[in-house]
Amino acid sequence: MSDIRLVNLTKSYGEGNAVSEVNLEIGEGEFFSLLGPSGCGKSTTLRMIAGFIRPTSGQIFVGRDDITALPPERRDIGIVFQNYAIFPHMNVAENIAFGLKLRKMPKAEIARRVEAALKQVGLVGYDDRYQRQLSGGEQQRVALARVLVTEPRILLLDEPLSALDKGLREEMKFWIKDLQKKLRITTVYVTHDQDEALTMSDRIGVMSKSRIVQIGTPQDIYERPKTLFVTSFIGHSNVMDVTVARRDGDMVVVSLDGHEMSARGAADLQPGTQAKLVVRPENILMGAALGETGPRLAATVLSETYQGAIVRYRLKRGSQEIVAERQNQAHVERFAPGTEITIGWDPGWSEALTA
Amino acid sequence: MRDEAPVSPVFKAVAMLTLVLLLLPVVIVVLAGLNAGEYLTFPPKGLSLRWVTAFLGSATFMSAYIYSFVLALVSTLISTVLGTLASLYLSRSRSGAAAALRGFFMLPVVLPGVVLGLALYIFYVTTDIGLARTFAGLLIGHVLVTCPFVIATVTASMVGFDLSLEEAARSLGASPWTAFRKITLRLIAPGISAGAIFAFIVSFGQFETTLFLTVPNHEPLPMAMYISLRYKFEPTAAAAGIFAIALVALSTVVSSRLVSLRRVFRA
Repeated sequence: MSDIRLVNLTKSYGEGNAVSEVNLEIGEGEFFSLLGPSGCGKSTTLRMIAGFIRPTSGQIFVGRDDITALPPERRDIGIVFQNYAIFPHMNVAENIAFGLKLRKMPKAEIARRVEAALKQVGLVGYDDRYQRQLSGGEQQRVALARVLVTEPRILLLDEPLSALDKGLREEMKFWIKDLQKKLRITTVYVTHDQDEALTMSDRIGVMSKSRIVQIGTPQDIYERPKTLFVTSFIGHSNVMDVTVARRDGDMVVVSLDGHEMSARGAADLQPGTQAKLVVRPENILMGAALGETGPRLAATVLSETYQGAIVRYRLKRGSQEIVAERQNQAHVERFAPGTEITIGWDPGWSEALTA
Repeated sequence: MRDEAPVSPVFKAVAMLTLVLLLLPVVIVVLAGLNAGEYLTFPPKGLSLRWVTAFLGSATFMSAYIYSFVLALVSTLISTVLGTLASLYLSRSRSGAAAALRGFFMLPVVLPGVVLGLALYIFYVTTDIGLARTFAGLLIGHVLVTCPFVIATVTASMVGFDLSLEEAARSLGASPWTAFRKITLRLIAPGISAGAIFAFIVSFGQFETTLFLTVPNHEPLPMAMYISLRYKFEPTAAAAGIFAIALVALSTVVSSRLVSLRRVFRA
């Protein structure tokens, strides 16, 4: 059974919609990310789930209960804010005890739970510190402990890593994911960072212009983007103009400057119409790496950029520039600028999308 | 590396001079109140507690002192509550009305006290709503004058206040009132008490607005001092001044202590 269900959730401000008809089901114990650029409505959606914003229309269910009209304090939902919102006039222990005191728990029980929570987030001995004495990462751990100690049904995380520096962000990404897995707590994570979403999520909902445009596993989202927006927002892509020739079972045959090639494609692609063919840079095959199937196209190497683990090529094919990336492995073929080469790709790793 | 640039001697001298100029009237009043002579003179003809005793024994002055104290206390309480509520609205509302209202709330400070007092007096008399020359009418005048000071200090303490602190408290299970009491109020308490101290001092020393609104035979201290000096040039008024200064100084020290104590214990 789904743990969180959003039904036609909409929030409008004056003329425009911040969130339009969002329908979503999140399973129990699932780590679900709302991913999108700033202003896409992801934070508004999260704040509606938390109860800070009243939806214009639509409903929010947790389990069987319609919580749309409940105030935040009666929702049993914990939230960690982007800036952590540690109460500056309370020390770490008092911050963590805040929710427990409101629940009128006995003092000894509160002390025991606070201690356990500190242990859980690796901050034993931090009881007496104040917010100003904590680093960003420590504040985040306190914010998480403060929420988790009340054992909420659902955990909401609003861009919790964006205020941290890069190294710490990498570390916290896995730490949060591990903690979430251990606790099996249903989590909604809001981020504009594709790496975070891909690394941490069980499923991702990509949002654009107040709507959810695609829901899927990280692999679905990355490998089978349904729209050009998803393609361009998540990772880099080569986008080529093609014409749809015909359907061929699950695949679709498109024509790129007269070269016919097979690609994966949506069922709504009509023969004769314009479409976009999308291939990720790492899926562009060059030289000896070319496989049995797929297109064979002539291209010229414009530049080669060495990036350590990968080597990046800018290629010219016809009038279009194409970016290719290869793993920098032993015996890998390298191409100097100006070299004429043949490129191609596996049809199963190319996607035809409505233009 | 130096921690701070040294303060130039000229700057120090100017600062000292300003301090002396500010404190001089206080010293003069205190010395005049301790005058041993018959009349209000400076420098005093010897020091004595003669006029202090006279002040303490004067029914007029003592009742004026107590009257002013009560008036200042009540108007401080009212304007602290009203001013804090107004500041919350002003700092949180994004409507254009809030911006316009901010200026409007500050008007009593800009307006000459005499004008405000006269306006209120005319209003009370012409509408005949039973406020002319009553305690309530006077209190309204004092609240009007003191409220802007609370609004100014509390609004300043709300600048940069992180609303997600309140939201965090709410989702941890706090009702709106509990979240306000345990989080917001604690964090803006210094601003509120600073505003309250201002309000008390302003009300206690208020003269111009009071002029038109006093209840017959119940003069606040500044009025009583003025009247006394007009008819007999006695140092009792100066002695009253000593007590006025003492009360203001005391209330300032006590309130700032209360705030910092609360910070220490975080009740």
